Parts: sequence; C-alpha cells; structure tokens
Amino acid sequence: MRAGLVRDLAAALAGLGLLIALPMLFPQPALRDFLIYFFAYGLMAMSLNLLVGLTGLVSFGHAAYFATGAYAFGLLMQSGLVPIPVAALAAVGGTALIALVVGAICVRLKEIYFSFITLAFQMFIHSIIVTWVGLTGGDQGLRGGIPRPPFLGLDLNDARVLYATCAVVFVLCILAMRQVSQSPFGYTLRMIRDNPARANFLGVDVTAMKLGIFVFAASMASVGGLILALFVSGAYPEFAFWTTSGEAIFMIMLGGMKLFLGPLVGTLLLQTLNHFVTIYTEHHGLVLGTVILVIVLGLRRGLADFLFDAIQARRARRAAALAAAAPAAFAPAPLDGRTV
Amino acid sequence: MLRVEHLSKSFGGVRATKDVSIDFPAGSLTAIIGPNGAGKTTFFNLISGHVRPDEGRVLFDGADIVGLSSLEVVRRGMARAFQVAALFPSLTVREALTAAVVSHRRGSARVLSRFPVPEAVRRADAIMEMLGLGPKAEILSANLSHGDQKLLDIGLALAMEPKVLLLDEPTAGMGPEERWRMIGKVHDLWRATGMTVLFIEHDMDIVFRIAQAIHVLKYGAVLARGTPDEIRRNQDVIDAYLGTDHRLSETVGEA
Amino acid sequence: MNLEALVDCLSSASCAVTQVSTGLIVGMLLFLVTSGLSLIFGVLGIINFTHGAFYMLGAYLAFTAYALSGSFLLAMVAGAAGVGLFGILFERFVMSRVYGRDILMQLLVCYAMILILDDGVKILYGGEYRMMGMPDVFALPPVEIAGGFVPGYYLFMVAVALAAGLVLWLGINRTRLGKIVRALAINPQMVGALGINTTLLYAGVFGLGSLLAGLAGALAAPIRTLTPGMGVSILIESFIVTVIGGMGSIAGAFLAALLIGFTRAFGAIGFPLFVDGLMFALMALVLVVKPSGLLGREAA
Repeated sequence: MRAGLVRDLAAALAGLGLLIALPMLFPQPALRDFLIYFFAYGLMAMSLNLLVGLTGLVSFGHAAYFATGAYAFGLLMQSGLVPIPVAALAAVGGTALIALVVGAICVRLKEIYFSFITLAFQMFIHSIIVTWVGLTGGDQGLRGGIPRPPFLGLDLNDARVLYATCAVVFVLCILAMRQVSQSPFGYTLRMIRDNPARANFLGVDVTAMKLGIFVFAASMASVGGLILALFVSGAYPEFAFWTTSGEAIFMIMLGGMKLFLGPLVGTLLLQTLNHFVTIYTEHHGLVLGTVILVIVLGLRRGLADFLFDAIQARRARRAAALAAAAPAAFAPAPLDGRTV
Repeated sequence: MLRVEHLSKSFGGVRATKDVSIDFPAGSLTAIIGPNGAGKTTFFNLISGHVRPDEGRVLFDGADIVGLSSLEVVRRGMARAFQVAALFPSLTVREALTAAVVSHRRGSARVLSRFPVPEAVRRADAIMEMLGLGPKAEILSANLSHGDQKLLDIGLALAMEPKVLLLDEPTAGMGPEERWRMIGKVHDLWRATGMTVLFIEHDMDIVFRIAQAIHVLKYGAVLARGTPDEIRRNQDVIDAYLGTDHRLSETVGEA
Repeated sequence: MNLEALVDCLSSASCAVTQVSTGLIVGMLLFLVTSGLSLIFGVLGIINFTHGAFYMLGAYLAFTAYALSGSFLLAMVAGAAGVGLFGILFERFVMSRVYGRDILMQLLVCYAMILILDDGVKILYGGEYRMMGMPDVFALPPVEIAGGFVPGYYLFMVAVALAAGLVLWLGINRTRLGKIVRALAINPQMVGALGINTTLLYAGVFGLGSLLAGLAGALAAPIRTLTPGMGVSILIESFIVTVIGGMGSIAGAFLAALLIGFTRAFGAIGFPLFVDGLMFALMALVLVVKPSGLLGREAA
C-alpha cells in the first residue's frame, strides 16, 4: 500500500528534523553525545526486535554483530586504504557474511537452544577479539584512534557534521527496518512467530525466512556498532561481551516489543538509567540487576506494550461491532502456546 | 488424482497404518471414518509429507511424493486443515489469508513492496466470501469463535489453490447444528471448486449424507470401502464400528 | 599452530600423562556443571543461564569457609550446600514467577541475577584475583604415573566427580524419587494429580542442579584463581558440552565433557590460540551432523 510508505517517509523526515533540531536548540555537547550513543544502541535494540518481537527468535548473541561492525570498520579505516563509505559498506557486508554462517547453524534450533547457541557464538567472537591481540588490541581495544578522512565534502572531524551524518544513517536504517516489517516478508515472519508448523504447511520456507531476517538484523546491528566506533574513535571487547546483548534484550523488554518503535523507548530509558547510575555508584551491575528484577517480576511487560494493548483493545471492539453477526462465544487461544 | 499403494507406518511397536491402498479419483468427495485410534490422522500425515511412511507409495498426479517435505507437497497442490485449527493468533482473518496467498504466490521473501499486496487481498477476500468470513475480516484469529477458527483453517488451505484438500475432522468440537452448517459449507466448496476432497468425520449421519465414497479404517487397516449405501449395509462395519460408537454418538448428539 | 609440540607431547609419556590429567579435571568440572544444567532443563524445561554464576558462588563460598575454618571438608560442604540452598531460594522467589512466560523474561531474570551475583562478589571480595590455596591434606608429593606427575588433589577431584555422577545416575534411574522426577519431566499434571507436591519437587530439582554447580566451583577453588565473572566461560563451555553430548543425557554430558577437557588440554599445546575455535568447530559439526547430540534423543 502506497499510503503506508508515504506516511512512514513523512514520519522519518519529521523524526530526522527533530533529531537535527535538538542539538541546535540545546547546544550542550553532552546532549549530542547522548544522542549518538542512542543511535548506536537504538539500532542494536531495534534490529534485535526484528528477531525477538517480529519473528519470535530470542537471540542472546546479538551484540556480536554490533561488535564485528565496529571492529571491521575500525580496522578498515586504520588501514588507510579505503574512504569511510566503502569501509562502512564492507563492515556491514562482512558482518552479514558472519551472520550467514552462524545463522545457518542456529536458525534450525528450537527456542531455548537458539538462545544459548547464539550466546555461545557471541562469546566465541568475544574470545577471538580478546585473543587476537595483534589485530584487535585484545583487552585494551582497538587503539590509536580511527581516522576520519573527509569524503563527499563531509568532514566528520567536525562534531556537528558527525552528529548529522549519524542521525541521517540512523533514520535511514530505521526506515529500512520499518519497510521490512511492513513488507510481505515481514508478515511472513509474523506467521512464523505465531505458528511455524502451520506456516510451513502453507508453503513458507521457514528456515530460509529465519536466516534472511537473522542476516538482515545482524547487518543493522553492525551499523549501530560502526556509528559507535566512529564516534568513540575505537572499538572495545565489551561491545561483544554478553552483557551488551543482555542490555539489548532489556531495552526491548523495557520499551515493549509490540510497537515498532518500542525498543527505542527502551534504549532511551536504559541509557538514562545507566547515565545516572554511573554518576552515583560504581555498583552498576547490582543496581541494573535489581531494576530488571523489579520490572520483570513487577510490571511484567514493557511500557510501550501498555499503549499497544490499549490500541489493540479498541481495535478489537471496533471489529467486533462490525461483525455484529459474530457469535458471542469468545474463545481466545493463548498467544503463547509454550508450556514448561 | 491421488492414489496410495500399500502404505504402512509403525511407531515403536504400534502399527498405525497397515498396508492401506486407496484410490481417490479427481473431483471426488471421500470420507475416511473409523473408531478412535484407527489411524485416520496418521493416514493424513503420511499423505501430506508430515510423516514418512515405512513402506508404500503416494501417487499424486501420477508422481510418487513419498520422501518429499510437507513444503514440497503443499507446493504441488495438496493442502490440509487440521483437527485443532492451526492459526496465526496475532493476525486478523484478512491478514492471515492474505499472507497465505502471498506465500502461495512465492511472494514471502519480497521486501520492497508493502503488505497487503492488493492482488493478494482480492483473493483473500474471495476466500472469505466463499466461507462467509467476510464480516470477521478485521478480527484477530485468536478472538474468533471455535467454528470460525475451523473455517479460517480451511480458508488458509484454500489459499494454496489446492487440487487435493485434506480436512481432518472439520466438525470436531461443534454442536449438532453447527456441524451441519460446517459440512454444508464444505459440500458447497467442493461443488464450486471441483477439488478432490478427503475428510475425516465422526458423525455418521453427515458422512452418509454427503460423501460419495467412504473408506473405513480400523487398527490402521482398511476394513471396508464403498458408497454410503454399501457401507451402511456392511456387516463388518456394523459390528466393528456402528454397533457401538454410532449409537453412543447419536444419543450424545441428541442430548 | 604448533603441531610439532603436540606430537612431541603425545610421544612422551610424562607430558601425555600430565595433559591427560589436566584434561580429566577440566572435563570433570564441566561434567558436574553440565549435569546440573541438564537436570534442570530436563525436568523444568528452562535453561538456567545463572548456572555459571552459581559455579562462581560455590568457589567463593568454599574460599570463605576455608579461610574461616581452615577445614577443607567444610569448604566443600559450604560451596555445594550453600549454592544448593541459594538455588532453591532463587527458584522459589524468582524463576518460578516466569514459568510459562516468554523466554525473554526467563533470560532477563537470569541476566539480572548474574549481574547481581557478579557485582555482589566484587563488593564483598574486591575485583582482583583471589587464591584459596591447596589445603594441607593434599600437600603431598605428586603421584608419579609413567614418568608424569599428577597432583594428589587431581585424583581426589576425579573421584568426587565420578562419585557425584554415579549417585546422580543411580538416583534418577534406580530410586522411587528418581522415577517421580522422571515422570515430572514428562507429565507434571499427572504427578500433581497423584498427590505429590510438584512445587517442592521443582524447587528440589533446581536446588540439586545448583548444588552440582556449587560443588564444581568448590572443587575448583583450590586450583583456580577466583574472580568475579569467572562463571561466564564455564557456562559457555557447558552449553557446548550440552550440545555435543545431547540435552538431557547424563552419559552424553560425561562423554562430551571429557572430549572438551582433552580438547582444551591438548589444544593448549598444539594450537594455543585456537582452543576456543576448536571447541566451537566441534559444536558446529555436531549441530550440523547430529543436532540432537551424540547421545541425545530426538528433541532438538
């Protein structure tokens, strides 16, 4: 439907306008830095939700691709052989290739197996980064800075240009993910999430579709990683550590996975929380862990999900009114058929 | 259209299907009946590629399809609906049918266009029309009544534009009145499309009223076959099946 | 890559014996951790991602008990029983609230718990490395086998792990309680209908699984440096063992744990930088060739 695309484009433009305007209205560098972090982690959370929320694949190893994007980009730039756009494309392509291999092994696995094997592969990538000191700098991270030679008349050494470029890339990626989730492919993924066996009986090649979205989501996460590498002018093994994946999962849960932009809400919330926790205490893990427990056991769902459920309830009422002839027998099947 | 020859399958020590050979001519409406545990659903699973038979052949349009995955079997034109409706709870009726149509037209991997694609919606709407689901188009599959869920399940199968349609107890879990409505729809569908339809059914009145041919399974083997009249008079069937189950189901049905 | 060194080691009895003994204890620790993980999954249907943190907790509890009492036996009991108890509390107050809910929620509570435990340990013991030291009981000259020297403690560890594995196997396969637990894994409603307190059983099984992780941690304490976050690598390795051995199979876990133990021990000589890669290659191979694992039933 054309109307949907036009609406999304308009929303994207408005969003981009807001992001560009914000640092002009509040010119503190801290805000700009905060927002660039938000772009990086936001892309990771959004892309992870393509797996978790859209397809029902709970990956616990998504940060691996965030990290490979950062490292590949950083290394290519340090080699001094290629301009920024080429390095960026190569980093995304390289990550996609790695995701293709890992995904080919993982996507056939059921639920919980998928979660822990993706985590295992992430820790493998982490261990490569830490062990291969000659290439990656090991524990210390990619040192020596990442050069930002000007390209196409853009000088990313200017903080404002850097910010604006990151904002444009961020919005473009969000738009791409929106398109995928609203495409026939996106609805095929919803079928797989709801009932993979039935989707298979309707001629859907479930494995191929899962692999497709796994690779795409990894590529989008790698863009997040390279934004961060570009900004901090380095890459660190923590990018690939399991806690980074854990945070991404929490962002999704916090924001809610039913609303398309929910994970961004979660990213914003978690980043704000992290910001203050780091100021007041060094026991970041203790505080974050407690907050997660309270929210998961107390609230039981994400903040944006509250909103979504309200919209859904209204929609259901309208539909029921339309189908006046529909029998009153209301037998909702559980959305989540898993049992312990 | 569809012919099975010497089909056998064992699970552990249990022989669920024993040397079953049946021919289903093109455009026929055939009932598979039999007491509980007779191996009817297993028989469907063997035909549709869900379970691989130990022995025997399944000839579909002249080609042996044993060993093909359920995906390949669907793509050749054999679709099925399930005893417990297998749906997509978070999609609306129209979305689910449209997505199924898209899949049938090999459009599942398309990322550049927007869902729903108009041509696919037209086909989905036609299916809803045929099944009387039109007014429920915007309702979430999870929120449909039991009967509508069964209809939607059949609708999903129809989106595959099948040559052969397998219906596993289309009337399961319904009251007597609803059963007749449901089976009426199946009958209309069969007449309107000219598909080859196989269905599993418990209610004898329904079977005798609409089926052209009936095959009775017992303990995984074919006990009898024939027209409704022949089956009605078949002493084996009466002894083995109608003698107990039928009266029971009648009294329960009328209670 | 140093294949020459590997060949040299394999052809010298003393080096081979040393590496075999190293492989054995790595394998035995992994076996204990994995069998606990596998037991919990088999009965409760959840993967306990905090299992690695429980291993760490066992090591630190043993460390503390040993420092306070000077008794090695007390240290082992404190590590195993302490973690077992902690597991029961964790199951009752946290995990049981997310049964039947999205996997995402289960992952999150485990993630939260690991963060809390790691940070808690860091607050109590500091972030730097700690050593428990070898207890006096085992301050004996190493045993000489075919020219190679094996510390007495290694033999003790292997014996304890084997005994624990045997008790677990017998308990599950040969006792009435084991029968109930196996039934619980297949049909919890039925077990509940028979008037058996399934809530208690779930907590008990979770506690037992945790206890095995704690025991492994306590056993490892005298020979490993302790650090917050030491649980992560053993968690990942026990995932690998689970995949290779087959989920839910104790014998499979045993076999795969030994395989990984020897891979680590000999890999460290042959290709020191590629040991992790080797383990992952093994896992990937099993996933592609036999997804249910070497001894696993059809499930994956």
